[in-house]
Amino acid sequence: MAFLDNSGDIILDAVLTDTGRMRLAKGDGSFKIAKFALGDDEINYELFDKNHPSGSAYYDTEILQTPVLEAFTNNTSVLKSKLLSISRTNLLYLPVMLKNTLSGKLKNTGGDCNSLIVLVDKTTRDQFETNRPYLRGDLLSDDTADPILIDQGIANNAIGNGDDVALDADLVETQYIIEIDNRLGYLADPTTATAATPSFVDDDNIASYYISTTTNTNFFPSGQQGTAMSGDMLAGPRGSRLALLVGPSTNLATSTYLFTQLGSTSTGPDAATAVKHIDTTIRITGATTGYRVDLPIRFIKYP
Amino acid sequence: MATTFKTLTANDVTNTRTLLHEAIPLTGTIVSGTYTDQNVKTYTHGMFESTFDYPFLSSSANHIIDITAGYSSTSVVSSSTAIQNSKKINIYNQMASVLVGHDVTGGIQQFDQDGNIAGGGTKIEDAVFFMNFSRLLTKDEIKKGSFTTTFLTGGTPSTVQPNTNHSALTLGDYGAATSYYVNSPAGEYAILYTSSATPNANSGRGLLYYQAGVAVFSGSVFESGAAGAGAVLDCTNLGPGFPSASFQNLMTGSTIEILAASIRNRIQNISFNNTVELNSSIYFCRANNNEFNYSSNPTYLNSSEIRVKNTTSDNPVAYITTVGLYSSDNELLAVAKLSEPLKKDPNTELTIRVRLDY
Repeated sequence: MAFLDNSGDIILDAVLTDTGRMRLAKGDGSFKIAKFALGDDEINYELFDKNHPSGSAYYDTEILQTPVLEAFTNNTSVLKSKLLSISRTNLLYLPVMLKNTLSGKLKNTGGDCNSLIVLVDKTTRDQFETNRPYLRGDLLSDDTADPILIDQGIANNAIGNGDDVALDADLVETQYIIEIDNRLGYLADPTTATAATPSFVDDDNIASYYISTTTNTNFFPSGQQGTAMSGDMLAGPRGSRLALLVGPSTNLATSTYLFTQLGSTSTGPDAATAVKHIDTTIRITGATTGYRVDLPIRFIKYP
Repeated sequence: MATTFKTLTANDVTNTRTLLHEAIPLTGTIVSGTYTDQNVKTYTHGMFESTFDYPFLSSSANHIIDITAGYSSTSVVSSSTAIQNSKKINIYNQMASVLVGHDVTGGIQQFDQDGNIAGGGTKIEDAVFFMNFSRLLTKDEIKKGSFTTTFLTGGTPSTVQPNTNHSALTLGDYGAATSYYVNSPAGEYAILYTSSATPNANSGRGLLYYQAGVAVFSGSVFESGAAGAGAVLDCTNLGPGFPSASFQNLMTGSTIEILAASIRNRIQNISFNNTVELNSSIYFCRANNNEFNYSSNPTYLNSSEIRVKNTTSDNPVAYITTVGLYSSDNELLAVAKLSEPLKKDPNTELTIRVRLDY
C-alpha cells in the first residue's frame, strides 16, 4: 500500500470497500450510503509538541508532515480510530475503555500468549480443568459468575474520584460494537451463556454484534455501572461496564480443520501438554465515543 | 451526546454524469510489422483474425482489433467457386443483422451507403471488410467526428509499416459530431467519407458504428474510381506474399484470413477518441465548527488526558486523514483518503467532497 502524493493540492483517493462491492453486486438495495465518519489512523498525537520553543504554530509541524497511505479496500482495516463530535470544547479528559484484569475472567491472564484462553471442547476442558483462567467453551454456563469485563471511564482522578464523581452523561458509552471472526467463535450473553445474534456478518466472516444498554441489559451488570462500579481499572469517573463471554464455533469444537488451516501448535495452559491453537482478536468499540479496545483470544484444542 | 458518525442528508448527495474521452492512435507499425505478426492471432475456423498490441502469447498483450471480410449472397462476387464462399456470406449476414437489422419480412437488410436504408439506393454488399475494435479501446463508444483511418491503396507495401508513398487514402466520419444516423439496432452510426471538404454520396466508402465499435468498409477504398465504379484497383499487390490483381480477385480467390492480413498490411494508421460515460455520486461531508474536533485515536490520550490541550480553555484539535462512507447499519462501504492530514478545530469548518464513480 503506497503513500499518496502530497506534493501538490490536497487530493482524495476514494474506493469502494470489499463489503461495498459485495452489496453493490447483490443489487438488493443494501448499498446505500447513509452517513460518514472521519478518521485519523495514521496520526501519532505523541508528536504534538506543546512545548515547542518556536511557539504554537509549530506544535503540529510533525503531525502535518505525516504521509498518508492509499485507501484500503478491506473494510475492517481502515477507520480504526474515528474523530469524535462533542459540542463542548472545554474537555481536558476523555474516557477510555480498559480490559479489567483485576476482576472477572481476565484476572490473572498472562502466560506466553498473553491472552484469554477458550477451551473449545470437553476433552480439552478435562485436560486443563485445573489451569485457570480460561473460558469453558463447552460449558459457558459455568463462566457466568466471572465473565470478561470491560470498564469505561476516565483513567485518572484529576477531575475527581470514581467513587464520588459520575462521568458526564454525554460521555457514557451506551452501545458497544463487538467484532469477532465468525468462523472461530461467537459472543455469548454473560448471564445466560446463550449465543447472541450478530447484527451482520461481512464478506470477511467478521460478525458484528451491537450491544446496547437499552436492549441488551444482561451485558451491563446491574449495580456495577457508573459510581457503583467496583473492582475496576479506573481512578476517575466511571461510565459503563460491559460484561461478555466468548464461545467457540461448532467447527472449532468438532473439527481440527481450522486449527490446521489457521492455527499452530504449542503447549497448553499447564505449559507442558501439546495443544492446537488459533489466536484471534476481538474488537470492542464504543459506538458513542469511538474508543476501541482489542481483546486477544486463544482457542485451544487437545489433543 | 458524543458521536462519531454524521448522517448525510439529501442536500449532501448529488449525482453527475460526465463523458471522458481519450485519444487512441493505432499506427500501422503496431498492426503489422513491429512484432512480425506474433501479435496477430488466427483461428482454425478462419472466420476472422485478431490483432494485439504485443505478442499475444504474452500476458501483457491487449486485444485491439479484429478484422474480417465478407459479401452479400446477392453480391456479384458471390459464387460457389469462391473460396470460403459460405463463410464470407455468413460473416456479412451476421454483421448486417446485428448492425442494420431485419426488414418487415425478417430478411437481413444490407449495409446502405448513404444510411437511408428504407430509401434503397446503393448498398455496400460487394467485398466488404470489417474492423471490430476491442471494447478496451472504444470503451462506451467512439467519439463522433473523431475517427480517421488511412489505407495504402497503391503499390506494394513493405513488411514494415507505415509506408508513405502508396496512394494513401484517408477516410473519416467528417461532420458526424452534428450529423449521424440513428436507424440502426446497434446504436448510432455515420458514413465514412474520403474527403472532409464536400462529402457526397460518392465519397462515402464505409460506415462507422459508434457504440458497437465496428467500422464497415466497402472494398471500393481500393478502387481507383468512384465508389461502386468497378473493381479496378490502384494496387497490384495487397500484401506481402499475397499476390492479387485486384481486391475482387482477392475476395473470391483467398481465404478470410489472407484477406484480413492483406487489409491489415494496408493500414497506415487509425485514430479516434473513445468515450467513457462516468456516472458519479458526490457526497459532501460537512464538518461544522463544533464537530469532529476530538479523536478516539489511542495516542490522543495519555491516561485519559488529551495530549493536544494544556488547559480546558485550549481548543481541541484533530487531524483528518480518512473519510469513511457508511451504510445505515454502520458497514463501511467506501473509503477516501486525503493526501495529507487536515487540521480540524473549533475555528474551522470543512466540506470534503467525495466522488464515487460507477
